[in-house]
This record gives sequence, C-alpha cells and structure tokens, in this order.
Amino acid sequence: MASTSSVILKDICKSYGAVEVIKRVTLSIDPGEFCVFVGPSGCGKSTLLRLISGLEETTSGVIEIGGKDVTDAEPSARGIAMVFQSYALYPHLSVRDNIGFGLSLAKLPKAQIKAKVEAAADALQLTALLDRKPKALSGGQRQRVAIGRAIVRDPKVFLFDEPLSNLDAALRAQMRIELSDLHRKLGATMIYVTHDQVEAMTMADKIVVLNGGRIEQVGSPMELYNAPVSPFVAGFIGSPKMNLYSGLAAGEACGTYGIRPEHLRLTDDTPRWTGRVRHVERLGADTVIYLDVPQLGEMVVRADGDTNPPIGAMQGVSPQQGREFRFA
Amino acid sequence: MSLRRTAATRRNTGLLALAVATVVFILPFLFIFLTAVKTKQEAALLLFTWPEQWQLWQNLVDVVKTRNYMLLLAYFNSTVITAGAVALLVIFGAMVGYVLQRRPSGWNRLIYACVLIGLMVPPAVVPTIWVLQGLNLFKTIHGMILIQVAYGLAFSVLLYRGFISTIPRDLDEAAVIDGAKPWQVFFKVILPLLKPVTVTLVVVQSIAIFNDFTNPLYYLPGKDNVTVQLTLFNFQSQFQSQFNLLFMNILLVTIPPLLVFVFFNRQIVAGMTAGAVKG
Amino acid sequence: MASRRRSTYPYWFVLPAAVVFVTLFLVPTVASFWFSMTRWDLFKAEFIGWDNYRQFFKEPFLIQGLVNTLIYAVLTSATKTVLGLLLAVLLTSGLWMQGFLRSVVFFPVLVSTIGVGITFAALMHPTKGVINLALGYLGIDGPAWLSDPALALYSVALIDIWKGVGLATLIYIAGLAAISPEYYEASRIDGATRWQQFWRVTVPLVRPATVTVVTLSLIGGLRSFDIIWATTKGGPGFASDVLASVIYKQYQAGFYGLATAGNVILFLLIAAIILPLTWWFNKREVDL
Repeated sequence: MASTSSVILKDICKSYGAVEVIKRVTLSIDPGEFCVFVGPSGCGKSTLLRLISGLEETTSGVIEIGGKDVTDAEPSARGIAMVFQSYALYPHLSVRDNIGFGLSLAKLPKAQIKAKVEAAADALQLTALLDRKPKALSGGQRQRVAIGRAIVRDPKVFLFDEPLSNLDAALRAQMRIELSDLHRKLGATMIYVTHDQVEAMTMADKIVVLNGGRIEQVGSPMELYNAPVSPFVAGFIGSPKMNLYSGLAAGEACGTYGIRPEHLRLTDDTPRWTGRVRHVERLGADTVIYLDVPQLGEMVVRADGDTNPPIGAMQGVSPQQGREFRFA
Repeated sequence: MSLRRTAATRRNTGLLALAVATVVFILPFLFIFLTAVKTKQEAALLLFTWPEQWQLWQNLVDVVKTRNYMLLLAYFNSTVITAGAVALLVIFGAMVGYVLQRRPSGWNRLIYACVLIGLMVPPAVVPTIWVLQGLNLFKTIHGMILIQVAYGLAFSVLLYRGFISTIPRDLDEAAVIDGAKPWQVFFKVILPLLKPVTVTLVVVQSIAIFNDFTNPLYYLPGKDNVTVQLTLFNFQSQFQSQFNLLFMNILLVTIPPLLVFVFFNRQIVAGMTAGAVKG
Repeated sequence: MASRRRSTYPYWFVLPAAVVFVTLFLVPTVASFWFSMTRWDLFKAEFIGWDNYRQFFKEPFLIQGLVNTLIYAVLTSATKTVLGLLLAVLLTSGLWMQGFLRSVVFFPVLVSTIGVGITFAALMHPTKGVINLALGYLGIDGPAWLSDPALALYSVALIDIWKGVGLATLIYIAGLAAISPEYYEASRIDGATRWQQFWRVTVPLVRPATVTVVTLSLIGGLRSFDIIWATTKGGPGFASDVLASVIYKQYQAGFYGLATAGNVILFLLIAAIILPLTWWFNKREVDL
C-alpha cells in the first residue's frame, strides 16, 4: 500500500504578465482523498494542477504536501506523479523502459527496477506488452502504461490531467471504474482535472468547482448537487442542466431561480407553467422534453421513458416541493 | 479528352520527357565516364565516342599516384573536415534549436536574427582570415571545421527547431516529473527522438561540406591541406593534356554523392524541401 | 521569486554554438566595414576613408562585375523558378518512369560544382566540344560558348541552371504535394480547363514553394563563385566576372582592403534585394 499525504494550498496566485489566471486559491485535500477539479475550459483547473506538480511556479502563496512546504521544490522532489492528457509516453522507449524511466534516473539497482516495473505491469495487466513500443498499443493500453509509470514511483499524490478525454465513450466508462478501483487499492491521494461533470460526480470524494481562476464551491458530489451555492455550480453539476431563470420572470423574490429537469413533473392539474412542446428526446429510460414557456423561454423536463407528448401540444408542468433553488 | 486518350498521352509525354532528360542530364555523366576510361590521346579529342581502348584501372592508379598520392591525402582531409563539422553541427544545432523552441525568452529574437544573418549574409572572407590568423587557426584542419560549423549552423538550427516543434511538450514535462534534470530531458528524451531529422541533416550537410570549394580555397591553402575539390581544381591546370586523368578524378568525386543519393534519397529530399511547404 | 527553474542550462546549450558563430562569422562581418575603409595587408591597416569604394565604382571592370552579378542572379533565379515549376508539374502528373526522372533531374545538385564546371568546359569547347559538334550535324554553327566575351556569362548561367534546376523542381514537387487534390476536383466540377487549373489553382497555392525557390536561388546567384571560377575564371577578360570572383582576384593580388570593400558591397546588394523581397512576399501572404 502506497503512503499518502494531504495537500494544502494557501492563498495561491498565478499570473502570466498582467493576466491573473489563479486568484487567491485556498484549499485543503485530506490524505487518501479523491479530489476532482472541475470547470469550463479556461477556468484555471489545469494551471492549478500544474502548480501543485511544480511544472509551473506560483506567483505567491504556499503549497504543502504531506505537511512539508514544497512551494519551491523541484517537481521530482514533491512526491507526486502525473498522468498527462496525451499520456506523454516516450516514443523511443519500450513499455518497460517507459515505466522504469524515473527509477533509472534515480539510479536504483537494475534488479529492483525490474521487480517494481513487473509488479506494476502485473497490477495493470500490461505484462504481455512490456517489450512493445507505445506506438504498438491501443489508447486504453497507453493510458494504463501512463498510470503504471506513475505507480512505480510510489507517489504520495497522483495528479491526473484530463486523462480520459482522448478515449471513446465506452472505454472512458470502463476507465472510470478502473481508476476508482485503483484509488481504493492504493489509498493514495489523487487530484484529478476534468471538464466533464460526469467524471467528477462518479469518481470524486471531493469536487472543487473552479470559475475564472477562483474556487466557486468545494464539497462532495451530492452536496454540490443538492446545495449548489451559485447558479454557476447549479448549472455545471447535473445533466441535463438545471433550468435557470431570472427571479423576476419566474415570479420569485430572488435574483436567479433554478429547477432541475428531473424535479419538474408534467401535470394538467393547475400547473405552475404551461408551455408548447418543441422537441422530444427519447432516451429509453427517460424522455427529455423541451418546452417553450411564454414568460420564461426554454424549459427542459425529464420525464419517464414512456412519456411521449405530441410536438406542438400545450403541456403543463409544476416543480417538486423543496427542490427549487433561489439564488441571491 | 477521353480518359483512354489521356493515358496514351501520358505514356507518350513520359517517353518524350525521358528522351530529353537522357540527353540533357544523363549524357554529361556518360561523357565523364567514357572520357575517364580512355587513353590520353583519345581523351584529348573530347569526343563522345565509345573508347577504343579501355584503361579504367590504369587511369585510376595514375590519378591516385599523381603528386605523391595527393588524392588520398585530399580524401583524408575532406573526410576529417566533413565528419568533424557535421558532428558539431548536429550537437550545436540540436541544442540551440531546442532552447529556441522550448525556452522562449528575450534572447530568442537575437538568435533568430543571427539565423537570418547566417542564411543570407556572404561571409567577409579577408576579415575572417584575419580572425583565423589571430587565433592560429588559419591553414589548419580544425580551423576549417569550425568555419564550416559557423557557416552551416543557421540551417541546422532551423531544421532542428522545426522538428522539435512537432514533439509534444508533455514529454519534457513527464520527464521532469520523473526527476530528469534539464540536460537529461534533452539527452535522454529529446535527442533520441531527433534521429530522423539528424539523418537528414548529416546527409545534406555532408554533401555540402564535401563539395565545398570556395571556403577551403580561402581558408585552407597549402599542399598538405588539400581537399578533394581543390585537388580537382589544381589538376585542371596540371592535366591540360591528360583529360582521361582529369575526368577520372571527376568520376571519383562524383561517386560518393551518388552512393549517398542512392541510399538516402528520402532524407535528402526531406532536408532540401524543409520549409518549402510552410514557407 | 529568484527560484529553482530559472536554471542556466539554456545558456550552456547555446554558448558553444554562439562562440563559434560570433567569432568566425559576426566578428569578421562587423570588422569588414572597418577594413573596407583601409589599405590593409592583414597586419597593418591604414585608414583611407571611402577610397576603396570610390575605386570600385571608378574601375570599369569592377562595375561590370557588379552588373554581371545582377544579370547572372536574376537570369538563373528566374529560369530555375519557371523551369522548376514546369518540371515539377510534369513530374507529378503520373508520367511513366516518373520516380527515375525526378532522380535524374535532381542528381546534378549533389555533384561537385568544380567537376560540373570542368565537364561543361569540355562539352562547350568551341571547335572540339560535343555540343557544337552536335549542332554542326544539325547544320547550326555553334558559338564559342565560354570564350566569346558577349556570351560567356550566359553560358556559365546555363551551366548553373543545369546544375541547380533540380533543387527548384524538388521544392516545387513538395509544394505541389501539399495542395489538396480536392481543389483540383472542385475546379474541374466548376468547369476549369487544365490551363485554367494551372493558373488559378496551382500557381497561387504553390506560393510558399515559390517564395523559397526565388529567395534561395537569388541568394545563391548573387553569391555565385565556384561554377564561374571552374569554367571561365571571370574571363575572357572580365566578361564573366561577378562580385565574388572580383573579391577573390583582389584578394589574390593582395588588395585586402579593396577585396573587403567588394565584400561589403555584395552584402549590401544582397540585403537590398532580399529584404524588400521578403517583406513583399510576407505582405502578400495568404492564410490558407
């Protein structure tokens, strides 16, 4: 079992010239936690990861890993390992040498390197591929080699930079499960960057939502789903997206009014709103209905799979009690 | 035009092109070969005829023996200069190209300016001789090597910079995380990946340096320092009446590029057309 | 934060190359401006102001060298460009033995210039040369290619074109290969003839290659020395002298200051032609 550490960020700022990309981020990640940074592109999540890895230098602030200040430490001295979006496998080295590269740089004895590489390969079902070059591997296999390269270094913290975005949908679902298994098995701290809220929801112990270089909200997946602090978080977590309207239009005394598609029910009995059915997406288990509501605009409703209202018909909907969100 | 007629036209144009190319581009080489194997008297006629008497071996021995085996010395010198200069061009070019591509800084503009100058500006020959004399490098083989490095550097840097820009930066970062020092990133990760472009550079620069006439003429005078191209030029006056030997010599200096061309056609094409597509 | 990764390795990587380049290229280039204004024997330099330049523009044969340089460069560059493009189009049209033909056209580029010069000097011999004998069979009285003062420069240019057109062709072939065949298909559906395709699709889209060919061959032409030295040595008289051969002759004669002034003039000439040309090419750059 790998050792594990906490990661603490204190007032981290990062600017490129006059452009501030990270604005006073403070965050604490517990030992063994699976923490996901999520947000739209350009929100600073990858930069934050690269600051933790040491590939980028902070402009100000302190980074602690395992209680030790590593703000000015070399990446290799931080006890971290990183899996890149492109995998970054060395094309001229075999799988074996790719996994053992860091160990050979650290001048470990050959026999020890061999043992560690083979143990990692065994755990990731790569044993048969050890003498191949990366070019001769499939996307999923490359992904596993990249993980293997991270594992052999016994890092205290694993860093993942959108590792699944180059895989197709089926493989992505499978790798989500494999990564969760790996996390359980190793018990190591993992920090994972993605723009995909499904990956965040399914894998994270703790989700950090970033927006414009600031932390918008930190919490467990269900906390973010059930109690988003802002329309931004509310719109980002959950699929299909939450319906968001100005309080004025919705007839509420708040800035923004929100209701999730799954928390609307179709009804003809004194509905709160009535809209014209514009489009129906039948997914099998669910049906997603797009309504044009005169005073609000588009409203998305998630209903049972059997529901099939005719296009153009008028349809009434009401929100479920206690599931409405009112943001200042 | 029907498709079938197009095919026929293509065939005929091909034959015509082949005939013209043969006359224009192949006959001069055949002329070199035929004159090189003739006797002294027959070669002096300069005619494009089949040799009445073949003396390939005799001519070869004669030309090699001329002036106390000068040609062998010339081949030795040219080989040393070419190998030394190309080795340095590979290392220097790759290192500068790497810094230029991976480490953008204020210095880069200066380096680019130097590259442009190196590609465009004709060397100031006499002041260069003055500098070489001051450094005790004039008329020396290693001085000649450094001159070829200075003159070939701009092209090497550009070629390497272009190739390194196709290597994902993630690789460098993965190596840094794996604990590699900057020089280890370069020598263990980047340099091995530069093999294709290095082969191209070696082939193209070897031919250029081996064929160079002007620079040895200025910077490497003296009997002991002759290079292959200079021997050829010197023999031109010595062999006024021995065209067979002169052309045997031409044949000998043509064979190395021919061999290189046969084996490294692809790399030569890559090197010569680098930048032609992107501009 | 004065920190760890502002490491000094970039300097160490650049340093060796910089030392060689600065000492053996930049220093002489800068020094040439000073020495071109001196009477100089490599040990003692006596400042004489613009005298060398004055002499350069007073001596008719030096001026002729300058004019010849321009004629030679423009002529070889233009011919290589046009012929190179035509050959490239021909050699990408799927001809029979196309690969072999490409090699044949390209091979002279790799051959020793001196060897080529000597060979053509023999082939162009006014009475015994193969070229004139062949012309004689056709009833044409061949000229004295390299020994007629009116013709020598053009004959050398012809040899230069023979040796160099393969490089232009090769660059154009690479340029043509980068043009997507869909443009030709689209223009065919629009009803363009072969001729129209050449002018409206090929010529504009192969522009990057044209820029490379024109620039390379112009610089090469302006600096040309060895092919001239191997064939005519600038003769007969000064009929085929160019700046580079004038520089060498002044150097041989021991006029180091004058030779260096010639060098500076060549430098300025190249800059005066290539820099505006590059600027003009860039200005008209089309984003594809």
